[in-house]
Amino acid sequence: MVGIVVVSHSSELAEGLAALAAQMAGPEVRIEPAGGLPNGELGTDEDRVRAAIRAADQGAGVVVLGDLGSAILTVRHVLERHNGNGSVRLVDAPIVEGAVAAAVTASANMSLDDVARSAEEARGAGKL
Amino acid sequence: MAQASSEAVLVTLPADVDLHARPAADFVRTAMGFSADVQVAAGERQVDAKSLLSVLALGAKGGTELRLTAAGEDAAAALDALSARVLSLTD
Repeated sequence: MVGIVVVSHSSELAEGLAALAAQMAGPEVRIEPAGGLPNGELGTDEDRVRAAIRAADQGAGVVVLGDLGSAILTVRHVLERHNGNGSVRLVDAPIVEGAVAAAVTASANMSLDDVARSAEEARGAGKL
Repeated sequence: MAQASSEAVLVTLPADVDLHARPAADFVRTAMGFSADVQVAAGERQVDAKSLLSVLALGAKGGTELRLTAAGEDAAAALDALSARVLSLTD
């Protein structure tokens, strides 16, 4: 099953979003938060992102979402060094809608391509 | 190759279950189990039954009649499974 990593400047935001996505996707999907700096401040940390990717990976690939600017740069930096044959995919998506859509798609045992696409489709999905 | 078939059914959401959050996820997950193209309509709006965010945006309340349509080889099976899923949804 594809895993999901949510990277935010805020640990509370990352953890809350992981909980929300897990509530909709059920217990089988690994949804890992990577938020904040080790000293508790706002920011993104490469070691936390790396650990979250490892924890989310069950062998079917991992989709990573970031909140803003430097979160994306942090993920890119991590993936430049290690991206197990392209099986870790950073997607361009609004983080809340994208993570929830990706988690539910993953829970239906869909492929990495399908999960990544469902997250990116969130860019064009209206709420009203 | 089997002839692709197209099917439609009407099914009513349980009175106490809105098609939001977990029920919407359960619905979409069921639709994803089939290769058929599946659409769900409530009132005037019709969306892809495999798109969680689109299904959430339908905003279908408990007691709403849903029109399910499917096209593809396993369309009939998809509609059977989805109708049953709708009737068994809980909040």
